[in-house]
Amino acid sequence: MNKDPNHLRRIFVITAVLSVAADLLYWFLAGPHIPPGRMTSTASSNQWDFNILMVIALPVLIGVWVFLGYTIANWSSKRASAPEPKGGAAARSNMKAQTLWIVITSVVVLFLAGFGTFELIIGDGSGGGEGPNPVWEPAGAAQAETAALTSSASWAPGKVLVVQVIAQQWKFTYRYPQFGGFESAQLILPNDTTVAFNVTSLDVIHSFWAYQLEVKADANPQENNVAFTTTKQLGQFTVRCSELCGLWHGAMYDFGKVETRSNFTNWATTTESANSANTADLPAFAWTYVPDANGAAGGYYPDGTVTPYSTVETYGAKQAAS
Amino acid sequence: MTISAERPTKSVATSASPPTSRGVSWTQRPGWMSQHLGTAIVVAVLGYTFGHWLGNYITSGYPYIANSGQNAAANALALTFGVAGWLLGIGALNYPLAKLVGKEPEKDTPVDGWSKYFRYTLDHKVVGLQYVVGVLLFLFTGGLLAMAIRTELLSPTTHVFGPGTYIEIVSEHGTIMMMMATSIIVGPLGNYLIPLMIGSRRMAFPRIEAFSFWIFIAGYGVIFSALPYGGFPTGWTGYAPLQTQAGPGMISYLLGFAVIGLGMMAAGFNIAATIINCRAPGMTWSRVPIFVWSILATAALLTLATPTLFAAGLFGVLDKTVQTAFYVTEHGGSSYLWENLFWFFGHPEVYIMALPGFGIVAEILPVFTRKPLFAYKVAAAGMIGVALLSFFVWQHHLFQSGINPDMRPLFMLTTELISIPTGFIFLVGMGTLYRAKIRFEVPMLFAMAVFFNFLIGGVTGVFLSDVPVNVTVHGGFFVLSHFHYTIMGGLLFAFMAGLYYWLPKMTGRMMNKKLGQWHFWTMFVFFNLTFFPMFIIGLLGQPRRVFTYARNLTFLNDFSSISAFLLGFSFLIFFANLMWSMYIKPVKAPANPWDSLGLEWQTANPIPLYNFERIPVIMTDPYHYSEVDAPALADLGLSGPGAKASSSSGKSDKK
Amino acid sequence: MTDTSHNQKPFSETPEEVEYELRGQIGAIWSGGRLFIGMYTFLLASLAFSYFYLRAANNGLLWRPHNITAPTSYGWTIWTLSLVAAALVLFGQRRLRSGNVLDWQVAGWVGVACGLGALGAQIWEFTAVPFYPGSSGYASTFIGWSVINIGTLAVATYWLETTLARSLRMRKKSGGASPELATTASARLFRANVSSMTYFWGFVALSGALFLAMFYLL
Repeated sequence: MNKDPNHLRRIFVITAVLSVAADLLYWFLAGPHIPPGRMTSTASSNQWDFNILMVIALPVLIGVWVFLGYTIANWSSKRASAPEPKGGAAARSNMKAQTLWIVITSVVVLFLAGFGTFELIIGDGSGGGEGPNPVWEPAGAAQAETAALTSSASWAPGKVLVVQVIAQQWKFTYRYPQFGGFESAQLILPNDTTVAFNVTSLDVIHSFWAYQLEVKADANPQENNVAFTTTKQLGQFTVRCSELCGLWHGAMYDFGKVETRSNFTNWATTTESANSANTADLPAFAWTYVPDANGAAGGYYPDGTVTPYSTVETYGAKQAAS
Repeated sequence: MTISAERPTKSVATSASPPTSRGVSWTQRPGWMSQHLGTAIVVAVLGYTFGHWLGNYITSGYPYIANSGQNAAANALALTFGVAGWLLGIGALNYPLAKLVGKEPEKDTPVDGWSKYFRYTLDHKVVGLQYVVGVLLFLFTGGLLAMAIRTELLSPTTHVFGPGTYIEIVSEHGTIMMMMATSIIVGPLGNYLIPLMIGSRRMAFPRIEAFSFWIFIAGYGVIFSALPYGGFPTGWTGYAPLQTQAGPGMISYLLGFAVIGLGMMAAGFNIAATIINCRAPGMTWSRVPIFVWSILATAALLTLATPTLFAAGLFGVLDKTVQTAFYVTEHGGSSYLWENLFWFFGHPEVYIMALPGFGIVAEILPVFTRKPLFAYKVAAAGMIGVALLSFFVWQHHLFQSGINPDMRPLFMLTTELISIPTGFIFLVGMGTLYRAKIRFEVPMLFAMAVFFNFLIGGVTGVFLSDVPVNVTVHGGFFVLSHFHYTIMGGLLFAFMAGLYYWLPKMTGRMMNKKLGQWHFWTMFVFFNLTFFPMFIIGLLGQPRRVFTYARNLTFLNDFSSISAFLLGFSFLIFFANLMWSMYIKPVKAPANPWDSLGLEWQTANPIPLYNFERIPVIMTDPYHYSEVDAPALADLGLSGPGAKASSSSGKSDKK
Repeated sequence: MTDTSHNQKPFSETPEEVEYELRGQIGAIWSGGRLFIGMYTFLLASLAFSYFYLRAANNGLLWRPHNITAPTSYGWTIWTLSLVAAALVLFGQRRLRSGNVLDWQVAGWVGVACGLGALGAQIWEFTAVPFYPGSSGYASTFIGWSVINIGTLAVATYWLETTLARSLRMRKKSGGASPELATTASARLFRANVSSMTYFWGFVALSGALFLAMFYLL
């Protein structure tokens, strides 16, 4: 017994050394390259968040692995030198170890929850879908969102850009309410600009995942799901649907671009005027669109009257009754 | 306790009367005349046909629906009557119907030979073995579908399957595996071992137990009936409105889950009642084996969470047949409703799949380390804690959905809190391994692998619960890898550990050790090689359930696919081992091949019909390994040659 | 085959063992009955959740347009019948305990009639509802409730009926004035069953009141 080395200290030292090494290696070598990069504010802050979690997780992983490895190496029954195990009360519980374990895990867990909440709040929702009435939003977003519903909405560099993402089986289209509400098949964004994505769907649930932008929000029919980010770098990005939406879910992707502010303004104004005839045929800009009240989805009552959807702007509401 | 350890030498004949002279009823006739799998299939087919006709008859006023092949009402009725016919045919309804006229259950004469495995048998040991075959059926079919998925993902652009077929395969794989995973340990090992471990001669409700198995098999038929109907496109989560939009195969999914749900409720109900009421004298709550604790926690979850799944499935069936609008937003329903109901069941379900694995590992470790289980009470508390907390975390599946976004910090907190009781399992495991003398037998290898795999699964779970990181990883391969690490790496490895460990008891035959080691190493290595790259694939932006992906992910996907095929190969080794060791060259197992102190190993071999000739009186818990003067586990009340087995002690570790 | 209470064992048991197993079984019936109520609570809670969720969401203003309600008379009839049945079962159980077996039987069979009446009314109500299943959120949840309640009433009535039938057969088999009150194993199991069943009926009546308020009154 007396000759028995202090196993726990050994394990602790090995773990500590390996952990410090792994954390340092990770932080400086892998950390800066962790997806999705640093194209936007949310991308870089969530990358940082991921790295913090990783730095905490690596010692946990290494600790358990070192323990398992140490166990296998030292206490296999095949080793002749392995001492006989001892049963009895001492092997059954150890108040100190148990308390320490519970305290440490609780502290780590509570810290992580607090840290996550903090990051979520200062990140204005961290690029995730925040539902129709975001509680955490960047400065100027509320005004821009409110103004977007009026026909006089406009955008100037430095203001929040409102973009509507309309998902349907199996493509995304994008509307720019601050540019007359034109519709585009490609998502073009200005650099150094806070963007408010208003994600909705016309049919089933999709998920708008602008990978490099670190924006992900489910597209629900008749719900507006808002997510924010601020672009930081020029470049191309991928948009994929990340919620199973049927047959061609796998093919539901496109590519967007972050352009300079002036290029973006040029593109937007040019497209706005080029598309004006088409835009006039579109339903008025609204947060959500529901099928024509006269169509398949109309309310159906025994007395034969069709219930109007009244307060909500409806997709195709201007069409003549079929 | 009402029973003293002293046994009267002369027992009172309580049932001295010979078998009743009453004629054997037609349900009890031997051979092909009675009820068995064959009659079940026949009556099920008849019921299915009748239901189909009935559905078309009812809807005959709607000419474009009736007899169209798209008639959801006909499908729903056909499957319902099919399942009812199945139960009628197998004999599950004999007693419930006889009860209406006040009859007591039929005398259930034991059937010898293999035919009892094809009947509505009330012996929990038979049900356990039936379940082994049942879950392996689910597992292998689901596994083949997984091979198909990985084949499609070999190339980003060249497609093996059409998109429709691919989605069918993905959906069937997910659903089948989820159904299997709810029962994979509770079904075979739970049913088989619980009475043996708690010293009972019976399950509390043996008919409900048999019901749970046979309806589980019916669920297999129901979920696969989706294929001739064109499958369902929603994955295992079945999100509306895609569910509402889907074709008639969706009915199979909804009813399949409702049917399996009935089985899950029945199994959990019976097991919970058994553990609470049928423990042997002296088997106090601080003495029950830890596996029993884990199964009790699981049974509680099965009983309480599954009704929500049943309700959700029922509403879905109503939506598709009588055109209610539960999940139809345009008609006053809500697609969010399904997501909430489904995940309110779905998250406890995740722990239904994790807890029994913890139980097996904690049960096996002391045997192979020759040490008592460390921190038994912490382990039990952890399991109960996980079970309780699991009801309060469901919205972490919906962080990006726009549902209750303001609640995200709360659900982040509850989700991360659940890692505290989960961590207890690691404390228990590491405490037990400390200064042990480990025998690396095949079950032990699998148990150790659970720690390795589940650690990765658990730690990545913390990443997923962090809302900002969740933006990156939600809905991608990262999640997919995470839950494969917990369910396959945790539960399935634990199941294998349990199977290698207890099959000698269950069948009296040893699994081949060499093949077992091959199976373990191939499964362990290729499991990690298959799923670890998927974390990276997910981080690099590949969403789940897609058939195309970015070209730069080809290497990782191919790597994962090839490993997956080899992982599939490891299951062939397992299958070969099973066939070899059980049928081709069976080797008789020693009475207690692992020198376990567990009560289940103290029974005679093969286990008699009623498990224990005398109700055992339990003296202590079964973890007195390596203890000088360890108390005997139980008084089995035997005199004669079997008596030695009862005086188990720490001496047994010195081989 | 391991239904030890009904099978002959290939060995003899001590009286203590028999008693011990019997107690386990009685306990199983007792706790099984409560567990069943727990299961049902979660089932009904799912329905109640759906109701309040859709009511609060009021999507497309289609929670309950024009405040259409299913016919209140049916609602009251169904609930009153189930309440009467529950009260009768409770009354019967009390009388059974105090030795009045005939009272229990009469109350029980009237209870079965009430249960069947409620079941019939619940089914017949489908012909009287003034809306289509998919016309509103309310209509949908109402149909869901009807289907679940049909199941509930059927289960509860079945349970009551089988208990009464068992009681009659016990009488026929063993004779005597009140075999239900004997100390035999089957009589003790029977009484445990009656107790669990009484609780379940009480649960049906109470939860019925909640859903009556939700679907017909609010």
